Amino acid sequence: MNDIIALIIPSAIETLYMVFISLAFTILLGLPLGITLVVTEKGHILPNRVINFILSYFINITRSLPFVILMVFIIPFTRFLVGTTIGTTAAIVPLVFAATPFFARIVESSINEVDWGVIEASIAMGASPLQIILKALIPEAMSSLVLGVTITIINILGYSAMAGVVGGGGLGDLAVRYGYHRFQTNLMLITVLILVILVQVIQSSGNKIAQAINKK
Amino acid sequence: MIKIENLSKVYSKEDNKVVALDNINLFIEQGSIFGIIGLSGAGKSSLIRCINRIEEPTTGNILISNVNVSNLSTKRLRNLRKNIGMIFQGFNLLSSKTVFDNIAFPLKLSKVPKTEISKRVNELLELVDLTDKANSYPSQLSGGQKQRVGIARALVSNPNVLLCDEATSALDPKTTKQILDLLKRINKTFGITIILITHEMDVVKEICTHVAILENGQILEAGNTIDVFSTPRQKATQDFVDQLRVLPTSLDKDRIFSLSFTHNSAGKPLISKIIREFEVDINILSGKIEWIQDKPIGKLIVQIKTDMSTLHLIQTFLKENNVKMEVLNYE
Ligand SMILES: Nc1ncnc2c1ncn2[C@@H]1O[C@H](COP(=O)(O)OP(=O)(O)OP(=O)(O)O)[C@@H](O)[C@H]1O
Ligand SMILES: [Mg+2]
Repeated sequence: MNDIIALIIPSAIETLYMVFISLAFTILLGLPLGITLVVTEKGHILPNRVINFILSYFINITRSLPFVILMVFIIPFTRFLVGTTIGTTAAIVPLVFAATPFFARIVESSINEVDWGVIEASIAMGASPLQIILKALIPEAMSSLVLGVTITIINILGYSAMAGVVGGGGLGDLAVRYGYHRFQTNLMLITVLILVILVQVIQSSGNKIAQAINKK
Repeated sequence: MIKIENLSKVYSKEDNKVVALDNINLFIEQGSIFGIIGLSGAGKSSLIRCINRIEEPTTGNILISNVNVSNLSTKRLRNLRKNIGMIFQGFNLLSSKTVFDNIAFPLKLSKVPKTEISKRVNELLELVDLTDKANSYPSQLSGGQKQRVGIARALVSNPNVLLCDEATSALDPKTTKQILDLLKRINKTFGITIILITHEMDVVKEICTHVAILENGQILEAGNTIDVFSTPRQKATQDFVDQLRVLPTSLDKDRIFSLSFTHNSAGKPLISKIIREFEVDINILSGKIEWIQDKPIGKLIVQIKTDMSTLHLIQTFLKENNVKMEVLNYE
């Protein structure tokens, strides 16, 4: 039993490291991307057809690639960025690459849910586009954004298991290496159980936070 | 003072063109409560939204205190908007912010220091009588309370002008009355010019000092509320104003007249005098007294079966007594 714990703890830490560092970058990139998608639309506060078109296509293309293919596809980029293509840190690059467009679309739909009247009122009060985004759009969409982040975390967690298998480490990797290749069914079951609990905890905390923020 | 010159607004989507405003000219005095009334689709919202350029005018000029709004740079337009409050039919409050923070919003945009914001917001909470709701969220308020928050937010940066687009249309009659009283009080206390859009005649009668009637993107008639309602110059205005005109169809429609008594004439026993002096029968078909701006206007629809010359004499007599007599039907 002690052996199992000794195996699981470092893997769990690797998983959490991969997921949360990837999440940080995903939010950092995906939030502005998603907001730009909305505000550059025709008739919105910063209409720009060219930017909107390019962003939208870029996102659609990255989203249509299966994660495994994407991972291989961007290997040169990963090497350029982190100096290596294997290991937990290297796995973060394809994870961010896959999760950012996904999150950007979620941000887009959350921001689109904000009542146009609120935007109009802000314009009438003399707000600049940046003020509208920071002081009206984001706060108004916050509850829905938190739910979006929750879904994104779970998504990254799923991808991270795949990234693990090709050298990223983490719980997914552990389950496959020991549980599948070495027939340690116990260990595989425990790993799966941990993943299930993790997903449950993330989802229910996300829901709780979103609900607490929601004042509608 | 607001001056609107040759304002037109055309919405075009591909080949489809809608002329929402057609060469509008208006002069709105500082400190007045100016009502714009019209049926749905008349162009009321388009007109009020052109004033702070939430909608871009197609042609024409809008001057606010001699500043031409139509060709301001983005930055100066934003500064101008800070001096124009606006309230909306749907309130448009931020659901994620408390009442206090909603009212503070315009001041935060202008980066006013915190202590000053707090002082000013508390003043406004008091003005709109919502001090106890400072920490509530909009979803916890009634429609009337939400609109009071909207009014407080619109007034917090001391604007010269307040634009109201159907501000009471989502409210019940009693709440409407409260909001109108509040607007009236604000107008009296601070001398703010209020431009108010509505499709409800009663709203105009209740508070507007001036009124413009909008139909198909054109001004039918504009002026002092009492003048427009008591003595409409245009046939279309009459149709709009005179709800008493709807008479039963079975009625004998010959020689029907409308008599408008203003505050100078209401209260005198003019009808009985006519009956005696001109020896005619007067059949009263309908009548009511309307209060416009706290002044009564009496409206009578009558049938007077007599000859042309006597009718002329009656008309002259009424005119001398400040009663306007109009022919509704003569067969
Ligand atoms: N954004 C728009 N695009 C195209 N047409 C528009 C737009 N906004 C208004 N219109 C048209 O312009 C005309 C005037 O509309 P407007 O909203 O100003 O009327 P309104 O008097 O405010 O009506 P209501 O009482 O229903 O609010 C209508 O025919 C309407 O269909
Ligand atoms: Mg309208």
